[in-house]
Amino acid sequence: MSRLSVPCHVKGAVALQVGDMRTFQGRPGVVVIDVTFPSIEPFELQEITFKNYYTAFLTIRVRQHTSAHTPAKWMTCLRDCCLMPDPHSEDGAQEYVSLFKHQSPSVTFPKWLSHPMPCEQSALLLEGLPDPSRVSSEVQQMWALTEMIRASHTSTRIGRFDVSYLFPLLGLHCPEQVRPHSPLCYRWMAVMT
Amino acid sequence: MAAVEKRRPAGTPAGSFTDSGRPSVSRTAAAVESEEDFLRQVGVTEMLRTALLKVLEARPEEPIAFLAHYFENMGLRSPANGGAGEPPGQLLLQQQRLGRALWHLRLAHHSQRTAFNNNVSVAYECLSKSGRRKKPGLDGRTYSELLRHICRDGQAPEEVVAPLLHKIQCRDHEAVPLGVFRAGMLTCFVLLEFVARASALFQLLEAPGLATIDRRVGQAVLDTLEGALGAGDHATTPACYLEAGSRLGPDSLALAMDRAAAGRRPSSPMAREEFLEKAAALFIAKVKPVG
Repeated sequence: MSRLSVPCHVKGAVALQVGDMRTFQGRPGVVVIDVTFPSIEPFELQEITFKNYYTAFLTIRVRQHTSAHTPAKWMTCLRDCCLMPDPHSEDGAQEYVSLFKHQSPSVTFPKWLSHPMPCEQSALLLEGLPDPSRVSSEVQQMWALTEMIRASHTSTRIGRFDVSYLFPLLGLHCPEQVRPHSPLCYRWMAVMT
Repeated sequence: MAAVEKRRPAGTPAGSFTDSGRPSVSRTAAAVESEEDFLRQVGVTEMLRTALLKVLEARPEEPIAFLAHYFENMGLRSPANGGAGEPPGQLLLQQQRLGRALWHLRLAHHSQRTAFNNNVSVAYECLSKSGRRKKPGLDGRTYSELLRHICRDGQAPEEVVAPLLHKIQCRDHEAVPLGVFRAGMLTCFVLLEFVARASALFQLLEAPGLATIDRRVGQAVLDTLEGALGAGDHATTPACYLEAGSRLGPDSLALAMDRAAAGRRPSSPMAREEFLEKAAALFIAKVKPVG
């Protein structure tokens, strides 16, 4: 797959305003640059390249048109990507930066979701193979039972410590309601016997 | 036996059936009592009330049979079982305690969690009672014996449940707290249901006329289950459940089975025992050990 530059139109930078622009507090230092793509054909954005000029952190948001029916939604591809490790120094202030698609975390789908099973199933009911829906039902129940046990666990400790066989056991029984939780108590009980 | 007053205030029965002993009741010869008073004094009202509460809690499919069992077991409740002569020995007492505890534990299915937990508490109390030579509390030996009983009665093969017992058993002289007991009981009953489902699955996969399944297909199904369980190993997010659902759907399983059956490896049989053992191993791997 070859890489092509996508024609785009970069609008002028707009500083966000908070309150009164005339005073210093009115300029928080956040600037927004809109980039539009005049081509109507859909494309998959792979890389963004630009030259920095004293920007410390970069956030990129993308508005995707997924289908004709759903309205286009804004998605954050990159949030607070650090371009200058120290905003008051020169490091990174005028560097060329390339941002790649794989750096944006939220747009990747897990494989099982992006590659759903194909729909032609009639060919699979071969002779000798069991009914998949019944098999699926049993396996799902087994899965659910296991997950339930995995999730349920008791925080009650048995109070076992391995030198117990050295001491007579009278001091170690303790009704659950008054079971002490601190290790100090166990040591005390051991000493008592 | 103590004499009782002629007129009793409403709501206080003269005697009632409890775990510890027979009702002690007496009527003065000249007492004129209403039927309601009579029932209350002999403890029938309380007994029926308890029985009905149990039915409501357990919601059994066959309530009459359930009640019949319940009353049958009532006779086992008192240690001095109605007979004259020497009281039963410690071993018999222990067996009776186990029997009663088992009966309590089976009253409600584990999915009816509140009822199940209540019954677990009653069973725990029943086993923790002190006898003449027994100290109060539940010891590890009784707990382990109870676990083995449950598994035997649940018709799960011993080799299948042995790894679980190994994980959750307590040492003979350890005192078992209620939390550990409850978790152990739940795990045990859930495993029995798991093994029952695995058994049903084996029957589905069975080649017609044989008592075995194609090893490749069986292993493929188990591997798919293992994969779905593995997805939740590091985090349990809703996405993990969705992923598991996708992996365990009929289409996905059909594909896995089809691939396995069409594979180059020659077919060899897998017996039921081996299938159940492998399936149970997947379950037991997710159980937290005691301690």
